[in-house]
Amino acid sequence: MMNLIPGVDATASALNAENIRMDVVAENIANAYTTHGADGQPYQRKVVSFEAMLDPAGTGQTTVQVSQVATDNTPGETIYDPSNPDANKEGMVKMPNVNLSTEMVDLMTSSRAYEANLAVIRNARQMAAKALTIGH
Amino acid sequence: MIESLFSDPNYAASKVLLDATAERHEALASNIANLETPGYKRVDLSSSFTEAFAAQVKSGQIDNIPQPTIEQDPNAGTSRQDGNNVQLDKELMAMSSNSLQYDTLTEFVSGSLKQLQMAITGKTS
Repeated sequence: MMNLIPGVDATASALNAENIRMDVVAENIANAYTTHGADGQPYQRKVVSFEAMLDPAGTGQTTVQVSQVATDNTPGETIYDPSNPDANKEGMVKMPNVNLSTEMVDLMTSSRAYEANLAVIRNARQMAAKALTIGH
Repeated sequence: MIESLFSDPNYAASKVLLDATAERHEALASNIANLETPGYKRVDLSSSFTEAFAAQVKSGQIDNIPQPTIEQDPNAGTSRQDGNNVQLDKELMAMSSNSLQYDTLTEFVSGSLKQLQMAITGKTS
């Protein structure tokens, strides 16, 4: 079946996926200085990966979904800060592996992709509105 | 008059093209949605449809054009490092020209129907 607004399923799934990605980036930035997580270890940044899938609604469109939110296991840097409660005997503290510039770039890419998808919806809406004027 | 409007090749062609542009918009929406999906390959209207359509327009005989379908675009440029070959700028350009085409087609279909109405009622509106 054809939608009144063409392509809306693929776009909606992409908006949703970008939302999840922004959530994860927000989590990473929020925890950029968390040296003590639930497991006693510094926070490890999370990364989102996307995968394409055929629309389950049977429209034939290729939609997007978040395949997994994985943890980036590269070790963070160790800094000298003896006043930190998480410092070891030598006064060194293991920091999270969050790099603020990387996260900001991710955030911007994500919001640009979000905007691109909104442009698609806007265009589709115009087309549908135009189709309704046939004969008028 | 009614017969001649509905069998007019231009009218028949614009009806098919309206379907095709709506279908193409779905393809472009999929491409933009999958802008960052690793390994995704861009899709577009199938070449079998565009070729059949172009051939029939050339001959002026618009009948039994295949249904517009979407398939992977074999002419898409080189892919990025993650195996994805969608370029956002190109997709957005294609999308604006596609919706402009849709607008033009609706104007044409609308105009044809209005002409018919004018012929029936003798009034201009």
